[in-house]
Order: sequence, then C-alpha cells, then structure tokens
Amino acid sequence: MAIHERSLVEPERIVRKERLVIDGVDVSGDWNLIILPRVINDYDLDFAKEIINSPDGKTITQCYQCSYCTASCPVHNYWDERYNPRHFIHLARLGLIDELQKRADVMWRCVSCHKCTHRCPKGVLVEEVLKVILRTMAKKGLIDEYPSKKFDKFFTESVLEYGRIEDGELLFGWIEKQGYNVVKDPILKKPIPFLGETPEWLKQLVMKPIKSMNVSFLVLNAKHMLFHPRTKNWNKFKQVLRKVMQEEGALT
Amino acid sequence: MAKSVLVIGGGPAGLGAAMILGRLGIPTILVEKEDRLGGSPILNHYHTLIPRKLKPEQVLGPYIKEVESNPNVQVKLKTELSACEGEPGSYKVTLSNGETHEVGAIVVATGFEHFDPRRKGELGYGLYPDVITNLELEQMFSKEGRLYRPSNGQLPKRVAFVFCVGSRDRQLGVTNVHCCRYGCALSGLQAMEIRQHYPDVDVFCYYMDVRTYGTWEYPFYWAPQEQYGVRYVRGRIAEITYSPADGRLRVKHEDTIVQRPSEVPMDLVVLVLGMEPSAGTKKVAKILGLAQDPDSKFLVPSEDSGSNIISNKPGIFIAGACKGPIDIESSLSEGEAAGAEAAAFVGAKVTV
Repeated sequence: MAIHERSLVEPERIVRKERLVIDGVDVSGDWNLIILPRVINDYDLDFAKEIINSPDGKTITQCYQCSYCTASCPVHNYWDERYNPRHFIHLARLGLIDELQKRADVMWRCVSCHKCTHRCPKGVLVEEVLKVILRTMAKKGLIDEYPSKKFDKFFTESVLEYGRIEDGELLFGWIEKQGYNVVKDPILKKPIPFLGETPEWLKQLVMKPIKSMNVSFLVLNAKHMLFHPRTKNWNKFKQVLRKVMQEEGALT
Repeated sequence: MAKSVLVIGGGPAGLGAAMILGRLGIPTILVEKEDRLGGSPILNHYHTLIPRKLKPEQVLGPYIKEVESNPNVQVKLKTELSACEGEPGSYKVTLSNGETHEVGAIVVATGFEHFDPRRKGELGYGLYPDVITNLELEQMFSKEGRLYRPSNGQLPKRVAFVFCVGSRDRQLGVTNVHCCRYGCALSGLQAMEIRQHYPDVDVFCYYMDVRTYGTWEYPFYWAPQEQYGVRYVRGRIAEITYSPADGRLRVKHEDTIVQRPSEVPMDLVVLVLGMEPSAGTKKVAKILGLAQDPDSKFLVPSEDSGSNIISNKPGIFIAGACKGPIDIESSLSEGEAAGAEAAAFVGAKVTV
C-alpha cells in the first residue's frame, strides 16, 4: 500500500518486506506495510538513576522545567533549537534514551558559558548536569565520544611525557594525527615543524607572530621544537603521576 | 430575639463553630447526619492531613472532646435539618427527629463529597482492581498500614498519580470545572510517604499544572522531587488499559514536554479525586434559600460582603467545604469565625 505524505513518517518507522508469510498466509505485496507508532512504551529508569546518583548530577531532581536555562542559552538562541538544556534534563530524568540519541549531533555543543547555572531559579547546576548526561551516555555506548576528547587525550599524553606544554610537538603531532604528511627527525621520530606538509591556515597564523618576535626567543623556540626539553627529574615524577591518574580513572 | 445558635454539620467547620459558641456561653445545637462527629477526615479514615502532616485524631480530637463535654452544646447525631421558617433573629427550625427549636442564627457547615470516578469510564475505575482512588490509598495506609496492589496483594514497582480526576473537566458538565485545591499537595504527601517507606517503588505524578499554592510549594512540590525522587510528568492521563500479557496497567497520555504519545506500564494507579458539594449542602441550600453557584452548586457568600462566611441571608453563616474546595485548617478557622459572627449576631454579651 502506498504511503501518502511519506515526508510525515520517519523512515525508521516504516517496516516493509518483499515477501511475508503470516500463519501460512502469503501477505506479500502491497498489504505487508507497517508503520510503527510514535508511542513511548517505557522509561529507562536505570539510566536516570545513574545520573541522579552521581555526585555532580544530583541537582537534576530540582528542575521544574521553567526553561530559564534554555532562554539564556547562547547555543540554543544563536545556533540550533534542538540544543535545549531544559529538554535534555526532562529526557534524562525519565530515561527517554531514543529521544536523547536523536539529538546526539548537537548535544556536545555546550560552550560552558554557565549562564544556565547562574540563572537557574531552582539551583540546578545545569552545565554540570548536562555533562553527566553526556558522560553516562558515552559510558553506555549511546553516543559517540566528543571529538575534542581526542585532542584532550593527546594533550595529556604530551604533558605527561615532558612535564610541560611543548607547543611545537603538540601542534605538529596533532597535525600528523589529522593525516598530514610531516617530516620526522630520524633519531627521536618526532615531527619537525614546517618541513613537511603544513596546513595553509597554520602558515598564515604563525607568520605574523614570527615576524614581530624577538630573535633570541625565536631561537629558543626552535631549539625546544627540535630537542624537546623535559622538566627536571621528570621521569620519576611521571611514573607516580601516571599511577595516581590511572587509579583515579583519569586516564581513560 | 432567640439567643441560641444552630450549627449544621459536625465536620471541621461545624466543630470549629460549635467550639467557639460553646466557649462564649451561647446555647448551641449541633446536628450531624452521621453517627459520630469529625466529618470526612474521621468518617473516611484519612491517614495524614495536609499541610501539617498531623493525624485526623490529633487535629480534630481536641475539638470533638471539647464540643461533646461543653454543657452549652447539644450534639444531635443522626439528625438533619428538615424545615426552617421565620425571619432573621428568630428562625424556627424543624429537625428530622421531630424536634423544633427557635434559634437566633444558623451556621451552615455541610461540607463536600468526593467525586465518583466511575463517571470517568476511560480511567477504568471499578473495572481494574489496581486503579484506586486517593481516598482508598489513604485508607490503605490508615487501616492496613502497608502499600499493595489490590489485584494480587503484592508491593507495586511503580505507582502513578493521576491529577484532576473530576476537577477542571467540562466533559462532566458545568458542575466540575473548578480546581479541587488539595489534590496536588495531598498527592505530593502520599508520594513522599510511599518513597519514604518503600524506596524501591518509583512514583510518577501526571499533571497539567501543579497548584501547591502559597507556602505549600516547597513541602508538597519541591520536597517530593528533591528529597524523595518523585517524578512529575506533564500530561493528563486520557485512558487506562490493562495488559493481560504482563498483568500491568498502561497509562495512556501525551508527554507534552517530549510531544510524544506514551503508554507506560504501571502497577498501581491512584486517581486524585475532585470535590463536589455534598447532598446535604444542596438540601440545606434549598431549605434555607441560600445562594448557590449556578454551575458547581457550591454555596456562595453574600455579594455585599468582603468576608466569605457571610451568606446572602442575614443570620445565616456559611463555613468550610460547602462553599467550595478547602483544606482542613482553613475549614476549622472559618468555622471558628462563623461561630464568632453568629454569637455577635444573636447579641450575646460576652464577658471575659
């Protein structure tokens, strides 16, 4: 049977088979089309409980859906109406996971301006609560991890390695991870800045500061980029730090 | 002018009036159609009263004791008003037991009755044993002291409160368009009691809006959510069905925040009943010629007075739930105010 106004029905709700036999009766053809209802059949309260029981998610129970947060939210106001903190709280509290997943592409877009948290008349720590919702979803495999998390990991590893933020290594190591063909030095196997393939925007970005930079500072930077100095006695400290971070689950 | 006062109704408002009149030394006749005093909270075995979370006996016990022991008050149980003649200051009243009295003033405190949820057939009350009223839940607490599903006697995993059953409903005619005033707060209290004693039971409140007015906002709306984890879902329950496959009920509604229809399984569904004027209120209004709201049939105060206990007839005072939904503490204080007004009307000289 043909569906009139197909645009009104989401494709995932249309079930249709080429051949279908029910109780020995062949119902293939036009009569085996089923449109699944939009009805919510149940709540996933375990999901909700996990959020409520986490230390930074407790205030989710205080929300009374006034939408002060959403009205203040720059992401909602200037970007996408589907980013709606108030709505995420309601969905998470009842464990309506399929509805949350529909918004997975926008859910990471919080800019952490904290207007919501500062204005909430019920004292909900909205920004924290939203992060707990995302964390719980990621943990349960219900949403892809936030893309910037990959950079965060790379950054942490780099700091753990040298005991300091090593700009050149961080930048060009990251560029290498993005698929650019960088030139590495043969001994340390680290990318040498600007020798290989470099994105155009980066060249433009660094030209201006380099022109106005003090020569000795430039030499110092170049030296660091090539020889990767470490913090004094870093090796011992690194081992302890890595162990503690592993125990606290901060390295996952 | 006659110096005595007739109080009709032995509930909170009537008891408040009779207590004050007795204390002021005014001969008072208190008529009550049931066989004991206390009104709905006592007769219907309420468990805990809003807003002070006291037991009915704690609240009304002292009133009943004082009214029964005061020599100025004659309590006439199983008695109703059957006729009234005369004029303000000397009403000649006939009671159902044949007695006639001449009274200077009358306090009407004839109260309300609970809505009969059988009139909302789509909610399945009377059809499914696990659909109960909030009055039955109160009695479950007060008489049996435990929570269970009437169908199998076991503890429910999920309880749903359905707000506004018999309130704010034009489908029932013009008689039930008012708000019951107590339902939101009582549901919050009952939900908290459930969560307190059975922390594993999930409780859901289905509301259109939550009217825990004034100072009730925190104790009966915020506390259930923040301290007891009661969940509030916006959407009026349109239908309750039963699924033989799992033996659970389904509450059909639209979650208006998500904007999707829902049919969620529940084990026990509690209907939050509205208030209607009692049969006694309608009867007394006819006998005494009191003004009634044309739609709800509740008594209405005089148009000329700012006070809501002054009726359209001089010398007749109205107090409590015969005028519309009201909570018990306000009922008591209205009764006391009406008692004092009646005392002043009969020209009592009060010395302290």
